[in-house]
Amino acid sequence: MKLGYTLMGLFCLLIIALTGCTSEDQVAGNLSGKNGNILRLFNWNNYISQQTIERFEQTCQCRVTQDYYSDNEELLAKLAAGATGYDLLVPTGDAMDTLIHQGALNVLDKSQIPNLKNIDPSYLGTVFDPDNRYSVPYAYTTTLIGFNREKLAELNLPTDSWAIIFEPEYLKKIKGRITVLDSQRELMAAALKYLGYSASDTDENHWQQAKALIIRAKPYWAAFSNTSYIRELAIGNLWVAHGYSNDMYQAALDAKKTGRRFSVDFVIPREGAVLSLDSMVLHHSGHRPDLAHRFINFMLEGKNSAELTNLTGSGNPNLAARPYIHPEIIANHAIFPDTAQLSRLEMLHDINHTQRRLLSRIWTEIKLR
Amino acid sequence: MNKFRLTRWLISLPPTLFLLIFFAVPSLIMIVTSFRFPGEYGGLAPLTAPETTAAEGDSGLYGMTLEAYHFFFSDILYAEIFLKSFVVATTSTLICLIMAYPVAMLIAQSAKKYRNLMILLVVLPFASNFLIRIYAWMIILGPESAFSHFINSVLQAFGFEPVMMLFSPFAVLVGTVYVHLPFMILPLYTNLEKHDPVLLDAAQDLGANRWQRFWLVTWPQSLPGVFSGSALVFIPVLGMFAIPDILGGTGDILIGNLIKDQFLGTRDWPFGSTLSIMLMLAVLCVTGLFTLLARPRVPR
Repeated sequence: MKLGYTLMGLFCLLIIALTGCTSEDQVAGNLSGKNGNILRLFNWNNYISQQTIERFEQTCQCRVTQDYYSDNEELLAKLAAGATGYDLLVPTGDAMDTLIHQGALNVLDKSQIPNLKNIDPSYLGTVFDPDNRYSVPYAYTTTLIGFNREKLAELNLPTDSWAIIFEPEYLKKIKGRITVLDSQRELMAAALKYLGYSASDTDENHWQQAKALIIRAKPYWAAFSNTSYIRELAIGNLWVAHGYSNDMYQAALDAKKTGRRFSVDFVIPREGAVLSLDSMVLHHSGHRPDLAHRFINFMLEGKNSAELTNLTGSGNPNLAARPYIHPEIIANHAIFPDTAQLSRLEMLHDINHTQRRLLSRIWTEIKLR
Repeated sequence: MNKFRLTRWLISLPPTLFLLIFFAVPSLIMIVTSFRFPGEYGGLAPLTAPETTAAEGDSGLYGMTLEAYHFFFSDILYAEIFLKSFVVATTSTLICLIMAYPVAMLIAQSAKKYRNLMILLVVLPFASNFLIRIYAWMIILGPESAFSHFINSVLQAFGFEPVMMLFSPFAVLVGTVYVHLPFMILPLYTNLEKHDPVLLDAAQDLGANRWQRFWLVTWPQSLPGVFSGSALVFIPVLGMFAIPDILGGTGDILIGNLIKDQFLGTRDWPFGSTLSIMLMLAVLCVTGLFTLLARPRVPR
């Protein structure tokens, strides 16, 4: 019993100590000026080079802090749950669509962003933000197929079609060595593309066809995986993975660096695929729109933008960045698609809640069967 | 006496309030949420917009609706997931029990000076992060690992097909059992430690053999420990989502994963809340059952 009282006492002390700490922090924050001359970024994991940040901190005489998310759902969920104080977000098109409709974004002052002229016009004026009132393109990825080149050549399998992840005649040779994305929208998009529909198709009949296709292929898949496929491809546990181009770039780089006897390659399927364009937007909860605008303009400078692509292997809509990007990345058509491929890429549109619930039900059925 | 009671109340008031507020308020929010309409872009539909919700064929009352519950009960799919989660949780609990009992007995019967060290060793894995331990299993069970090569070479020697251990229901069970084993060992040990060895001597004197002594003397006395250990394993396993996400294959979806999906991918708060409430009711039923069973049989 005595022990119980001691513990309770300790607990009370702990509470006092903790609350004490926070108020001290706030005082410190207020002392260092109006919101501390800090630019607060809410960004993807590993989506900016440390050198770029340091250079910006020097030019603006400010500090950059970053919080990270690993997918758009996480970003939206955290903002919906009340995360505030972010000056800049970097959402993908469909998530940005949602944020615009929620009224969560501030309109950009383009007079402060002269470098906007560097952006390839084909990446401006997307359906989500036709006049780029809210958004400036940052970088893009494609959703495609990554594979172990030597293994697939040995098995004589096609690598340029979604058939490799959906057709049992190919799948039976790579059973248990293939993963697909654990994302309702992305996997449906791949199946819809393979069936010849639009990636953003919302026709329920087409969804049911896609579901049947997925359930037929599922027994051959090892898992639904959003991140672990990078490592597993690079060490040779997986032979095929459905995933993002920048992740595949990392996997290919890892396999090369560790001197594996195989190489990882990735190709945009000929049926077409999903293009995810990430844009910089101002969140309404931000305290420093001035710094945010400066940062956007800074990131649009060719050299700074190129650093991102050289680090992560993301696609880059910035024409001024081209001269600074490693030539082997520019030459990779899975990262910088040619015009013919570009015409087959599609951005995902946001869907309404009735469609989301239906899709979730289909997804649950896919997982359970 | 009166004064003592007052002090006791005063001291226990803050933690009681803490528990009450931080349990009751979120639960209430969840219950209310489950009766609301989902918002067009995630979150909840505003309470004062009956026109927009009427289009869904259910006008609702003051923006409140049973729609999410209707959706849950109109589809056998969700009952199947509950059933599946119960099967996984029960299996993990049984495996934990079978593995933990001998360990707990060993600790309880060893010399007092070693007991604390052994308990420390049981608890030691908690010193490293849960996710790191699960990722470690990914490496151990992976197809190119030494462990996998060993198992598969043994299987091949007997003429069986090689197996893929990672991304399977087996891997999920390994993960859950590994993580929750200490939660079974500790209550069992606390119980077994208190057993009076005189009872075993008496049983021996009355002619009971080793097996009868365990089954008729030790086991019935240890039941409260068995039940509290089982509850500590069963309930967390029922709601977990990280282990099937990381180690599971294409079919390993549990209620936890489904609930997570509702709040992330689908942004359907009302349905996610409904699922959580259903899970809570299920857990309450099971806990009630365990408490009933865990009551000491022998009146003291």
